Amino acid sequence: MELDPIQIDALAEFGNIGAAHAATSLSQMLMSPIEMTVPEVQAVDIAEMHNYIGSEISAMVVFQIQGEVADGGYIVVSMPRETVIQLTNLMLGTTDPDREINEMDQSAAIEIGNIMISAFLDATAELLGIVMLPSPPALAIDMAHAAFESIVAQLAYDVNDVLIFNTELTSEAPPVYGSIYMLPNADLMQQLFLMLKRLMEPLA
Amino acid sequence: MNRFFGEETAVIIGLGEHRVGTYPMGTIGLGSCVALILHDQRRSLAGLAHIMLPESRGNTDRPGKFADTATSVLLEEMAKLGSTRLSITAIIVGGASMFEYSANSLNIGERNTATVKELLRTHGIRIEYEETGGKIGRSVYYWPEKGRLIVKRADGTCTEV
Repeated sequence: MELDPIQIDALAEFGNIGAAHAATSLSQMLMSPIEMTVPEVQAVDIAEMHNYIGSEISAMVVFQIQGEVADGGYIVVSMPRETVIQLTNLMLGTTDPDREINEMDQSAAIEIGNIMISAFLDATAELLGIVMLPSPPALAIDMAHAAFESIVAQLAYDVNDVLIFNTELTSEAPPVYGSIYMLPNADLMQQLFLMLKRLMEPLA
Repeated sequence: MNRFFGEETAVIIGLGEHRVGTYPMGTIGLGSCVALILHDQRRSLAGLAHIMLPESRGNTDRPGKFADTATSVLLEEMAKLGSTRLSITAIIVGGASMFEYSANSLNIGERNTATVKELLRTHGIRIEYEETGGKIGRSVYYWPEKGRLIVKRADGTCTEV
């Protein structure tokens, strides 16, 4: 997949707006400021995925992008185990940071992912004037690469690379860390470029 | 080219790739994908494919990506190096269903496993070791020379065969 700089910019800008809204919703939930890194957009060859997505254990909440763009690709909120426990503790007022992940943590991870990604897609849909909705979330707490394989398998039947948009979110107190990944499929990309191009045209 | 366990010649086989050789091979973070290892003990030779989907339906540029093309290409390349079907046995690892609360297409692991097993049956290749299914990610390391296999799971457990 050859991307020209304008296309990369377009996707980065699109994701940036979504991620900023997701970060705001997380910040409101935690009542603390959230830092967001400058988003990266890359076309990653599937054979190189393991250099990009590691095998460390993470909690991943996965959404398919639906709505006016049918099967538009996937959005993933990924958090290390410690962050999930931290977030559950914050929401329930419990304190033990050194426990195993339990059912409550799983629900918390899904709920937080849900709120963040709803904000993400609301914002981007408003920008483009189309309705995008997250599918019901799916959860995996496992090696990151192992979970991404299932997503890549859905996107890379005909092609050998996938587009990955990625930004990281951090908060110092509470110490929370997470990433948002967006993997649009070819149809959604096409639609995004067209819409963003239209937005960038000078007013005549 | 990555290294594992301090092995200089070791090769990590990425998604959809395949290799045939005598050097150690591995795949990291197998989820719904299946690692198919074909092994010829007499020649200390092995092939590994990191299979992503069951059927190629005409796609040929990356044979390691699909169960049908991966099985054929490994057998072909091993045959060129002198292996016969009778001397080859198989190891299959992976094919997990990674996602909870998901009834949809993300859980392709089962179909991957079933297709690989069916293909091995058609080719008359015996399965020597199998660890498939479940809900857990795995990493696989294989040394063709000794026929040594290590499966490392996401929960921290390890099996050596």
